[in-house]
Amino acid sequence: MNLAGQRRYGTDEVVDAVVVGTGAGGAPLLAELAAAGLRVVALEAGPNFDPAAYGFDETLADEIYWTEERLSGGSTPEAFGANNSGTGIGGSTLHWGAFVPRADPRDFRLHAESGEGCDWPLDHAELTPFYDRVEAFIGTSGPTPYPWDEARRFPLPPVLRNGPAQLMAAACGRLGIAATDAPAAVVSRAFTPGGAVPLRKACINCGFCHQGCRTRAKASMDVTYLPLAVAEGAEIRPDARMHGVERDKAGRITAVVYRSGGRDLRQRCANLILCAGAVETPRLLLHLDLATGSGQVGRNYIGHVATQVWGTFAHEVGMNRGYPSSLITEDYVRPQGADFAGGYLVQSLGVEPLTWGNAVARGRGLWGPALADYLRRYNQVAGIGINGETLPCDANILTLSDETDALGMRKAHISFGYGPNETSLNAHATALMRRIWEAAGATDIWVLERVAHTLGTCRMGRDPDASVVDPFGRSHEVENLWICDGSVFPSSLAANPALTIMALSLRTAGAFLGSRTSR
Amino acid sequence: MTDDPVLFCLHFLGGSAREWRPLAAHLGPAARCVAIDLPGFGDAADQPGADVGAMADHVAARIRAERPGGPWLVAGNSMGAKVALALARRHEDGEEGLSGLAGLVLLAGSPPAPEPMAEERRQAMIAWIDADPETRRREAEAFVAANVGAPLDPEDHARTVEDVLRANPEAWKAWLTGGANEDWRARIGTLATPALVVSGAEDGDLGPEAQAALTLPHLARHRHVVARGAGHLLPLERPGALAALIRDFIAAPPGTGETPTLPPAFAALMGSERVNTRLRTALRERMREPDGPFCLAPEERATLAACLDRVLPQPGPGKIDLARRIDARLASGTGDGWRYAALPPDPQAYARALRSLDAAAAETHGRLFRDLAGHDQDALLDRAAAGRLPATPDGLAPELMTCWLEELRGEAVRTYLAHPAGLAAIGFTGIGAGGDDAEALPGYRLTGLDAREAWETPILETPILETSASTGDVR
Repeated sequence: MNLAGQRRYGTDEVVDAVVVGTGAGGAPLLAELAAAGLRVVALEAGPNFDPAAYGFDETLADEIYWTEERLSGGSTPEAFGANNSGTGIGGSTLHWGAFVPRADPRDFRLHAESGEGCDWPLDHAELTPFYDRVEAFIGTSGPTPYPWDEARRFPLPPVLRNGPAQLMAAACGRLGIAATDAPAAVVSRAFTPGGAVPLRKACINCGFCHQGCRTRAKASMDVTYLPLAVAEGAEIRPDARMHGVERDKAGRITAVVYRSGGRDLRQRCANLILCAGAVETPRLLLHLDLATGSGQVGRNYIGHVATQVWGTFAHEVGMNRGYPSSLITEDYVRPQGADFAGGYLVQSLGVEPLTWGNAVARGRGLWGPALADYLRRYNQVAGIGINGETLPCDANILTLSDETDALGMRKAHISFGYGPNETSLNAHATALMRRIWEAAGATDIWVLERVAHTLGTCRMGRDPDASVVDPFGRSHEVENLWICDGSVFPSSLAANPALTIMALSLRTAGAFLGSRTSR
Repeated sequence: MTDDPVLFCLHFLGGSAREWRPLAAHLGPAARCVAIDLPGFGDAADQPGADVGAMADHVAARIRAERPGGPWLVAGNSMGAKVALALARRHEDGEEGLSGLAGLVLLAGSPPAPEPMAEERRQAMIAWIDADPETRRREAEAFVAANVGAPLDPEDHARTVEDVLRANPEAWKAWLTGGANEDWRARIGTLATPALVVSGAEDGDLGPEAQAALTLPHLARHRHVVARGAGHLLPLERPGALAALIRDFIAAPPGTGETPTLPPAFAALMGSERVNTRLRTALRERMREPDGPFCLAPEERATLAACLDRVLPQPGPGKIDLARRIDARLASGTGDGWRYAALPPDPQAYARALRSLDAAAAETHGRLFRDLAGHDQDALLDRAAAGRLPATPDGLAPELMTCWLEELRGEAVRTYLAHPAGLAAIGFTGIGAGGDDAEALPGYRLTGLDAREAWETPILETPILETSASTGDVR
C-alpha cells in the first residue's frame, strides 16, 4: 500500500499507542484511534507489498504467509504456514478466504445453552452495529435477504458461483437443505466506502484469493482500513518485528523494542495493543513474561474442525476459477438431534493445485501411480468443507519450545487435539457432506481431516483468574496493555473468525478511547 | 569419446563464424571449433539466402572437406540449431560422409516446428533490413540488445552489430519468410544422437518453455540446461559456462531424456501475455536444475531420488529431478511454516529417515534402497508408513517414519506442481489469469461447470497420460 507521505513519529516521542500487527485485529482499531486524533504507530513484522506484484502462484505466495516454523503436537496436530497466519502489511487478510459469515447469536451463549464450552462476556446484539459498520466499509457481497439472518444486508450482490458451488447447490436442492451464495468480502462491483479509501474494481474471478489479490477486489486490510488509518495520521512501519518491551517500576509498559533492518529500535508509548494473532500474541507475552500471572496465556487454544470431503465428477469443474467458496449453508449451526454442543457451517470449495495436491498427498495418503493419476483429475474434482466449533480444553495449549528462532525467541509449540465434542461434530458433518456429495453425483469420495484457524490463548472474560483480558480486550494485569485479535475469543464459534475479529476491533477501539476520556 | 573432437559451429540469424570466438577460447583443447558462415552471412554474405536443407548441404560439404578423424559434434545457436538438427537426421539416416556425429549442442535453438514468432515482429525485421543505413544501424543495435539478458561487452556487441549489417538482406529475409517457418517435425522425428540443449531464462520466444515443448520431444537423449540471466545469444553471453557444459557433455553424454518436455499448448500459454512476467520468470527458474548449496550427502540424495520415484512416479519421457530440488530447499533453511513437533528439524529428519530406509534395505535384501527392485522398495515404504521399519542407530524412530513419509509425500507433490511440467500434466489454466497490467487483468469470465473459455481449450485437451503399474495406498 502507499505509505509515501504518511505521518511520522519519533521513536522518543511517547505515542498514545503502539499497535503490533496490521491484520483483522489491528487495522480497524488503528484507523479508529487515528481518526480520534490519537498518535498511533503500527509495527508490522512483514514487508509492505504491492498487490499488483502478486504472482498468481502458490509458491510465490509464500511471501505473504507466516512461514517461520511452529511445532505442532497433540492428537490432531494443526498445519500452519499457508493455512493460517500471514505476514506483511495487512497480516493474514492478505491471504484470507474473505468468507464472512457473522457469528450466530447462540454461539455466544454456548455454555448457557449446553453446559459445554464457554460463554462470551458480551451480548451478540452489542456486536451487530459493529458488524454493520465493518461490512459497509470493506464491501461485502452476498444474497439479500440472507436466509439465516433476516436483518443482514449486503452492500453488493453475490460474486459468481463456481463449479463446486453449482454442484453443492443442486445437491442441497435435492436434499431439502437451504444453501445460497456465500457472504464474501470480495467486491462484486466497483466499490469504495468513500473518503480516503481508493476505489476497488470488481472481482475478476481469478481464483487466487489465498495467494494475494492482485486487483484489490478482496477486502484485505491494506486496501481498506489501513489507507484510512494513514489518511487519519497513523504511521505504519513495515519490517518491524516486535520482540521486547520496557516497563516502569509499576509494571506499566513504557516502550516497545523491535527489530528493523537488522537492528533494534525502541518506540516510547503510553499503551501497547497486541494484535499479532493467537499464536504470536501469546508467544510474545510468554517470551516477555508479560500478563502471565493468571497462568491463562497460551491456554484454551482453539481452532475449527475444518474437515473437507472431495469427489470426482463427470463434469469439467475447473475449480480454480472464481471465488473459491461461493456457496454456504448455515442449516447446521444447530443440527437437530445432534449429540454434541455447537455446530458448523458448510461451504463449497475450489482449491488451487498445490494446496489441493498437498492435501491429497498428506491427507488421503495416496502414493505411487495412484497419486500421480489422481493429481491428473484436478479439473474434474470439487470439494465441500465445514467450519465447526471446537471447545477449549486443558490439553490444547500453546507453550514455548526449547528451539529458538533467528531472533533468539523460543518457537511456539501448539498442542491440539479433538475431544469427544469435536469428534461427534466431525462425524456428523462428515456423514452430511458425504450425503451431499453423493447427491451431487460424486464418485471416488474421500475425506480430508483438517483443522483451521488459530484462536483462544488470551481469552477475554470478567474473572481475572480465568482470562487474560477483560471483555473489551484490556489486560487484567498490565494497565496499559490491550489485546485485539483472535486470541481473545473465549470459544471458536461456527463462523469463520475474521469478520468477528474486525467487529471486535472497532469495539475495543471504542473502549480504549472511552478509557482515556474517563481517566 | 576420444580426445579432441571437432565442434562445427553454426551461428544465429545475422551472426557469423565470429560469434564462436569466445567459446572456442574457453573450450581450449577440449574440442576444436570449426565455425562456419552460413550462406548469406559473415564472409559468405555474397551468397543468396538458402532454405534449411540447402544450409545443411553447405555445412555437410564443409564437414566432408574437414574430414574429422574422430567424433565430431554440431553446435547451433538459434537458426543454426535447426540446421544442426537437419544434419543429425541425415547422419542418422546414414548419409555418406556424415558418420561420426557424436552430439548436438543446441543453444536457444530454432526448433523443427515453425518458429514461434509474433507476426508483427517478423514484418518489422523484414522491413528494416532494407531500410536506409541509419535505420539499419539503429535497428541492428536494438536487435542485438534485445536478444541478450544483459549487455555484451562493447567489443562483442560492436562485432555482432557489424555482422548483422554485413548479412545479405536476401538471406535475412529468406530465413524470416522461409527457413524459420519450415516444418521439419516429421522429417526430424526422434533423434538418437545425444543433445545438450541450453536455453536462456531471459530469452523471448525460444526460452526454456519453448525448448521443452518444441525441441526436447525430438531428442531421445537430451540434457536441458536453463541459463539464468541469459538471453538468446548464448555463445556470446555465456562462453565460459557453455564450455564447461560442453566438456561435461562430451565426457558423459545423456543416456535418456533427462528433463521433462512440455505440451506445446502449455508452453505457448506460459509465453503469452496472459501470464505475468514475475510468474513466467519463476516458472522458468523452476525448470533450471538447482546447483546448490545442498544439504544431503550424494548417497543420501540418491536414496531420496529412488524413494521419490516410487512415491510420485512421473510417466516421462524425462522427469523433474524432485530430489535435487528438495535437497536445495532443505539447504536453504526455508520451510512451510510448521512441522510435527515429534520430528527433528527437516534436514535431520530427511537424513535420518533415508538412513533408516537404507538400513532396512540392507537388513532385508543386503543392498541399498536405491538398488532394490521397485516392488521391494514399495514393500519397504509400506512398512515405513505403518511404522514397522526396524530401529536403526542414526535413523529415525520407526513410529516417526509415518510422519516423515507424510511430509515427503506433501513436499514431493508441492515441488512437482510448482514446475511447469507438473501444472501442464494436470491441465491447469490458472497461470493465464492475467499478465502485467494489474488494471486490466482478464481473469476468468466463465466460472461454472463445463464452461471453458477459448484460450483454455488447448490446455484442457492435452491428453492425460496414465501412470502404469499397481497403485500404492497407505491407508
